[in-house]
Amino acid sequence: MSEQSLIDAESAARVGTVAATATGEANRRDWQRWAAAVGDHNPLWFDPEYARAQGYRDIICPPLFLQYAILGVTALNEVRPDGSSGAVSGSLAFPRAPRRMAGGESTTFHRPAYHHDKIDMVRTIESIVEKHGRSGTFVLVTWRTVYRNQQRQLLAEATTSMIARP
Amino acid sequence: MNRKQIFYEDVHPGDPLPALTVTTDERQLFFFSAATYNGHRIHYDKDWARSAEGYDDVIVQGPLQAALLARAVTDWIGGRGRLVEYSVQNRAIALVGEQLIFGGSVTGKRLVDNVGLIDLEIAGRRDDTVLMPGTATVALPLRGDQP
Repeated sequence: MSEQSLIDAESAARVGTVAATATGEANRRDWQRWAAAVGDHNPLWFDPEYARAQGYRDIICPPLFLQYAILGVTALNEVRPDGSSGAVSGSLAFPRAPRRMAGGESTTFHRPAYHHDKIDMVRTIESIVEKHGRSGTFVLVTWRTVYRNQQRQLLAEATTSMIARP
Repeated sequence: MNRKQIFYEDVHPGDPLPALTVTTDERQLFFFSAATYNGHRIHYDKDWARSAEGYDDVIVQGPLQAALLARAVTDWIGGRGRLVEYSVQNRAIALVGEQLIFGGSVTGKRLVDNVGLIDLEIAGRRDDTVLMPGTATVALPLRGDQP
């Protein structure tokens, strides 16, 4: 790493390693609160009779909610000054690029999660690269995340990214 | 949402998805942050958003934009449609109170092992500015399939 690089050596050394593992439970009240916040009143998330008529055994977790079913608890004194927790990103911090925003996500969904399903997540750091865009230099971090249920069935595979700017 | 089921046979490249128009407010951003355990101040602390991060106001969560765009897709595919792949990029931020439009169009269709797959180009926009471009693949039932 050159002295000008936004990526510190400690962060660079973590490429290829597991950034985070987490276990949680898909919970219908939680996913319904999320859906309500999105204004998404799809009966697949709310109405068991409707869901059964579509071939499911019960209401299902909205695909995009799966990533939140595994979130843990962060003590207030571990929260960053900007309010973010860093828990799912494996606490990667770039002192020279402290402004963070979500970059993007790409997910393949294999099967739905149901209420009370136990969800296991394993997230690895796939890459950390410095990019030069129109708005200046930034760090692009990419993670690969796999979600499984209590029967070890693959639910989803996701590639997510974050942008950190000076 | 439209409760009428759309089938693989009904869909053709170039077909548009019905657009979803949403103007967020602070309450929606707050509830979404709460529902996703997101403490980032730029979504609720206007002073912080302005002075610490240089935005004109609190900003819409990228994951909320993504969820709204996914809603445009899952509303369209009906209860028997299935979201198979979903890919979006955060290209630009949106401020609270801005009118956002989520939609897309069909780019292709293919039968794979008798599953009807539809490829989509999708985007979240503010006027002509693309905030969140992406692609999605959905599975739609074939006419005659049993749920």
